Amino acid sequence: MATLLRSVVRPLCAFRGSPGPPAGVPLRAVSHGAGLLYPEHIPTSLLQKVLLAAGSAGMALYNPYRHDMVAVLGETTGHRALKVLRDQMKRDPEGAQILQERPRISLSTLDMGKLRSLPEGSFGCAYLHFLDVNKVSPDTRAPTRFVDDEELAYVIQRYREIHDMLHTLLGMPTNILGEIVVKWFEAVQTGLPMCILSALFGPIQLSAQNLQLLISELIPWAVENGHRAPCVLSVYYERRWEQPLQALRQELGITEPPLRVEGLV
Amino acid sequence: MAAPRSWALWSFCGRGWSRVVSGYRLPGLRSSSPRGPLGARLLSQEKEATETHFGFETVSEEEKGGKVYQVFESVAKKYDVMNDMMIVFVFDLSSCWLPAGDIAFRFLNYVQAQHQRKQKRQLRAQQNLSWEEIARKYQNEEDSLGGSRVMVCDINKEMLKIGKQKAHAQGYKAGLAWILGDAEELPFDDDKFDVYTIAFGIRNVTHIDQALQEAHRVLKPGGRFLCLEFSQVNNPLLSRLYDVYSFQVIPVLGEVIAGDWKSYQYLVESIRQFPSQEEFKEMIEDAGFQKVTYENLTSGIVAIHSGFKL
Repeated sequence: MATLLRSVVRPLCAFRGSPGPPAGVPLRAVSHGAGLLYPEHIPTSLLQKVLLAAGSAGMALYNPYRHDMVAVLGETTGHRALKVLRDQMKRDPEGAQILQERPRISLSTLDMGKLRSLPEGSFGCAYLHFLDVNKVSPDTRAPTRFVDDEELAYVIQRYREIHDMLHTLLGMPTNILGEIVVKWFEAVQTGLPMCILSALFGPIQLSAQNLQLLISELIPWAVENGHRAPCVLSVYYERRWEQPLQALRQELGITEPPLRVEGLV
Repeated sequence: MAAPRSWALWSFCGRGWSRVVSGYRLPGLRSSSPRGPLGARLLSQEKEATETHFGFETVSEEEKGGKVYQVFESVAKKYDVMNDMMIVFVFDLSSCWLPAGDIAFRFLNYVQAQHQRKQKRQLRAQQNLSWEEIARKYQNEEDSLGGSRVMVCDINKEMLKIGKQKAHAQGYKAGLAWILGDAEELPFDDDKFDVYTIAFGIRNVTHIDQALQEAHRVLKPGGRFLCLEFSQVNNPLLSRLYDVYSFQVIPVLGEVIAGDWKSYQYLVESIRQFPSQEEFKEMIEDAGFQKVTYENLTSGIVAIHSGFKL
């Protein structure tokens, strides 16, 4: 818990020295073309990041359907954690390759035909099955905007895009309970303040029964797996479609969930 | 004696931030010219605003109504428009916090109230009316605006639709027309309207000079052009605070509340791009308007420009 708290406080200090024009200076010159580090980049000052972080946190709590606010919160508070993640990826050969090649996961980059032809039990097949059953698409991830470092912007984009893979690996559906479990796993893995806040505040809306199951079984399992697994961002998922799901789980040290979550919500 | 028919063409733009305006005291526009209503000179010196509202504060309906009432009271007095055909011309109701329709609705309320007052006077003047006759007179009243006509024009179909819905929700049907049109090329004949107003709209027009020329064209001789728009702040301290607020806070609020950073960035930038009070006054004069004056609100955050087609 102390580590978690520290990892919440530390990123707040990351506000100091973040690049961007000083408060009050019109951003006209910067926001159009010239100062952009990547296509969707919106340069923001320190003050703006603070306001955005506070505003997005409040709005996300007030209206849980504002997923874009959760994304904004992640971007504005994740600087320190993203640097740590990026360094972790660099140290791992597969992770370094990802940083080099910058693969993106979207319907246009995935070979859906090939995925469909994969044998039952393979990771690719399981992933496709997950997308179908939960009626989600890899294209729903909003592009990064408020990260003022082009490489870190990719890291957070990658984190968002592999979220569905984590669901598949952990065997969690996309309902509230499943999402919270995945968030706990991600919080331990990434240390992103947004994950930690979601993990802590998400359960507020749960029923007593679900809450009990969450606390007694699911969270300990997620945390344990999160600690045991290597950096999940360093896994080149696009090269492992044929790998059997169980083998991949074993490689990452992910055990079976203590109970099936579908029936509970 | 039949009152002369007059047409008012008003245009409103609701592009964001109407609430800023609602915080200001709109001083009454008094006629100081001995010649009478035409040629009223607007006081262009700065009025003291006891409230300095920046952005998204709520003011009560009565307060806002009262402020807008003063502007239109003066216009009405000058043109005797209460009893006659009026056209309201609305521009770009898009993404408004307190939609520009709100200004139009305040105006419609005013016209309606004037018409009702006139009706009451007429009834009082008639002797020995039976209760049935009085009741019938009120019941038969379908045109609550008393013959005044309001034309609402916007370049954006979706926003026009919303404006129409709002109007209907507030009970306005008679006398209102909703037209899809471009301020730079109005779908109206020459010399048609008594008043043309545009609020927070002209800033968004690509060719402001063309919009001004069109305004001049569709107004009748004697017609008045009124433009409410963000302008340049003349107080250095306020200007600095305003800059910080505009560029630091507004886009953030746009992102958090509307999920749209870019529109609000555009908003604050377009305000800075807009010509100053004097420059805009010259542009209005270039379009052919005369007796062009302006009134600053809260040190020039917003200005009302006025001109006459003579």
